[in-house]
Amino acid sequence: MNPTALRAALVIAAVYGHFLIFAQFAFVELLRAGGASATAERALLGVMAVAGVAGGFLAAWRGATPLGVRIALGVAAASAALAPVAGGTVVAGCGVAVASGVALGVATVSLAALLPGWCGVVWVGIGTGLGYASCNVPWVFTQAPAGQAWVAAGFAVVGVLAVPRGADWCGDKRAAVLPWWGVLAMFAALVWLDSAAFFIIQHVAEFKLGTWGDKLLWRNAAMHLGVAVAGGCWLARSGARYLPVAAWALLALAAVAVNAAASRSLAGWCYPAGVALYSTALVAWPGWFAGADGVRPAAWRAAVLFAVAGWLASANGIGMAQSLNRVPLSFVAAAGLVVIGVALFSSKNDRRAALGVAAVVLAAALGAAWAGKPLAPDAAARGRQVYLAEGCIHCHSQYIRPGSRDEEYWGSGRSIEDVRKGAPVLIGNRRQGPDLSTVGARRSGAWLRAHFLDPQLLVPGTTMPSYAPLFADSRGEALIAYLQATAVGWVNTSAGKAADWVPNRTAGAAPPADGQRLFARLCTACHGAEGRGDGALAANLAKRPANLVEGPFLWTAAPESRELRSARVIKFGIAGTDMPGHEVLSDAELLALTDQVLRLRKR
Amino acid sequence: MDASAPMRERDGVMLAARHALAWLVLGNAAGLWLALLLIWPGLQLGEWTYGRWVPVHLNVQLFGWTSLPLVAWLLHIYEVDRSKAAAWAPAAVWAWTAALALGALHWLTGNSSGKIFLDWQGASLWGLIAAMVVLWLVLAVAWRERAATWRGGRRSFALSGIVVLATVPAAMVYAASPAVYPPVDATTGGPTGASLLGSTLVVITLMMMLPRAGAATGRGRAGWWVWTYLANCWLIFGAAEWIGGTHFQFHQIGAMLLLVPWAGLVPWDWAGFAWPAGSRVWRLAVFGWWGLLVLSGVIMYLPGVLDRVKFTQGLVAHSHLAMAGFTTSFCALLVVALTGRPLGGRRVVAAWHVAVLVMLAVLAVLGWREGGAAAWMEVPPGWRTAGLHLRAACGAVMLSASILWLKNWRLS
Repeated sequence: MNPTALRAALVIAAVYGHFLIFAQFAFVELLRAGGASATAERALLGVMAVAGVAGGFLAAWRGATPLGVRIALGVAAASAALAPVAGGTVVAGCGVAVASGVALGVATVSLAALLPGWCGVVWVGIGTGLGYASCNVPWVFTQAPAGQAWVAAGFAVVGVLAVPRGADWCGDKRAAVLPWWGVLAMFAALVWLDSAAFFIIQHVAEFKLGTWGDKLLWRNAAMHLGVAVAGGCWLARSGARYLPVAAWALLALAAVAVNAAASRSLAGWCYPAGVALYSTALVAWPGWFAGADGVRPAAWRAAVLFAVAGWLASANGIGMAQSLNRVPLSFVAAAGLVVIGVALFSSKNDRRAALGVAAVVLAAALGAAWAGKPLAPDAAARGRQVYLAEGCIHCHSQYIRPGSRDEEYWGSGRSIEDVRKGAPVLIGNRRQGPDLSTVGARRSGAWLRAHFLDPQLLVPGTTMPSYAPLFADSRGEALIAYLQATAVGWVNTSAGKAADWVPNRTAGAAPPADGQRLFARLCTACHGAEGRGDGALAANLAKRPANLVEGPFLWTAAPESRELRSARVIKFGIAGTDMPGHEVLSDAELLALTDQVLRLRKR
Repeated sequence: MDASAPMRERDGVMLAARHALAWLVLGNAAGLWLALLLIWPGLQLGEWTYGRWVPVHLNVQLFGWTSLPLVAWLLHIYEVDRSKAAAWAPAAVWAWTAALALGALHWLTGNSSGKIFLDWQGASLWGLIAAMVVLWLVLAVAWRERAATWRGGRRSFALSGIVVLATVPAAMVYAASPAVYPPVDATTGGPTGASLLGSTLVVITLMMMLPRAGAATGRGRAGWWVWTYLANCWLIFGAAEWIGGTHFQFHQIGAMLLLVPWAGLVPWDWAGFAWPAGSRVWRLAVFGWWGLLVLSGVIMYLPGVLDRVKFTQGLVAHSHLAMAGFTTSFCALLVVALTGRPLGGRRVVAAWHVAVLVMLAVLAVLGWREGGAAAWMEVPPGWRTAGLHLRAACGAVMLSASILWLKNWRLS
């Protein structure tokens, strides 16, 4: 093992650790604890940013040296250690902000310029990962602000001790991977998106709990470390051009996923991975990938890059996220446009390709403006738009084939001439679930709503996903209105059909165990486990479900008639009520289920 | 033009082939994601549900993996890379990719037109039209420069191509309109036999063109009678489509039966050409899947069979036979023939085809059982769950194979 490289990695970890735990957390909390107003807090963070930029340019101007890194980290350690005892006054806070900012500016810029002489780029990944991981260690993360400040001071002291000797530039001039303007834009977009997403997640309780809550800290630490090391390997083996794109993709996935409860845990995996990837690239870029041919040029590049991306974009991202409670897709798309655009179209030849892309984007924008998407005037028509938008057609048909078993299941449908009048025609080509031509007559609005919200409750094991988000606005009710409107005219035929149906007993009834199993799967949500009409959904229905222990068909004397009537109700439901049919069950299953229902009766 | 001539890295043909492979990877990833969502619906990301991912999967395979090799073929036919338009070929390819990426975003954000195979409307439609116009301009500029060096027959063929291609955007706007719908078999709600004959004749025409338009050298075996038969098939398609009808009527079944000879005619014709090295494995795959596609298509159209498999995984099996089996082999052959670069090792190619075959068998069995009775919709049985797991496993193998192809292609 190369001891210089190991020491370099430790310095990176120390600087990152100090920055994250003190500048981003403890300092802010100490100000708040000291009674600083929101305006004062913002002003002091601004002071720290300006001092950081100034410190970075000071290091570039005076030259990056190991001694400079040691002094800067020493100052950082002192300011962090004194911050808890300095009190929360604006003057004291200003002093800490200036000292910390300048120290971090000098340390980061000097370090980025000196690293190529100390280690390979894989070690940058190791150092970055260690820095992030150490901040996520529960003992560190859950410290009180004063404790965190002292831990940060400890990180800086470790950094002082670990700084390697020597400041020789290692190797020849390395070609710039991307034009400089592109690098600035790319990292500014990434830091901006990260800062905005971080701020929003941090300030929305359920987002925070689902992504980096206290129980997930070790997982996050491991993710940071593993992905940062992988990022270092990627930079060493495959270059740097597309790594920021991968980082953006992970951040984008996290930003989209965090907005919904069902996918929030995914955000918890993707976010640290995205941050670790781009953070590694950010440290390595000035020295390895920006075309620098010595320590001084690398330092100037680092000073500019960190000023634009590290300080300004971060402040801008947080500023824009102040009043938001979800990560806007427009933020994700804007950052993606910049990051992918720079990665793909930064050479002269690429710019011609960019013109092709621009032509498409322009045409699409004009097409969108021209076509518009007016909301349909009534609920049923809006529901049809929802049916199209959600791709219901990919799992459900709306065509009952004449003369086929479709009619036994779902009744007679519309003629082909009538179906063809739809624009578009919604016949569909695949059934993952039933045909929906007549579903509005076969299922009540309450049943449909319950099924959209939690399909597994009514049909355990179904492939139907939850459409709960549709009910956060008016789309869900519009979809129900549409399904009910399509079935108008069919309701009256169902009663007659049920009255004529007689189960085919030639195959015999399924065993009683099947009846119990079917009851447990299909009936308990409404009728309850014992059939007393007290299932989980009972309270949501207009009329309490039948108590199967007390009835129904109390006045039907003959057992044969009772069985037939019950079987008909189970198969076809009761039109106009919340009782659905179970049209697709085989006759043997229906008889077994009927038998089970009748067994529940007291008499 | 010598198909095996070395290509520069930035040539339009190479770029189109690379983009096609990248879209294959993305399309397969979307397909695997769909397979997983069928097993675990709770995996869905917010509002990006199964129904929104399906058009992404379908269109990425149709307009990415399938169309971009055809774009590469056009660039090759018009010798774009030897013309002044060469510098703009990447613009055409990237414009196509951008249109498809915009389309994917469009579908995921709930902007589907409801036309399953032509799901382009508003922003996505006009983005695609713009991409077609950019491609046409590049081809037209190359044609104007290169046509003088071509013989009379080729010059006329290329000119007629340019004219036909100029009409494609307008045809696309018309065909993508929700108000337009092809003839329907009233007994199934699906396409008529004539419609299926017509769409397959397009494929046959492309297959007959492939070796004659840049992918191979020499002469095919097809004589005047083969071309006459092809012309007659087109005429019969027109007549049967005009009459309409159902799969219980002889003229519709007969239209499908016209396809059977093509299962052998195309391989027989291709045997007369000299093909580039490395393409044999894909030609064999094309023949195998093509024969299976034609024969299974005809059998599945027969009364009793179609009535049972309609709306089931059986038809999903047939569309995957068409896309993952036949079309993938055809596109891979096109890519290999145009660029002279193999896609990957034999083992990876074999893994792809075995995975497709297993998936088709699983889906066919599922479809046959689903068509017997619909109780599975209410009480999901073990055989269906097991089938969906197997299908997802096959999808994972296919995704891995396509990633390796893309990786090898980048490195080679």
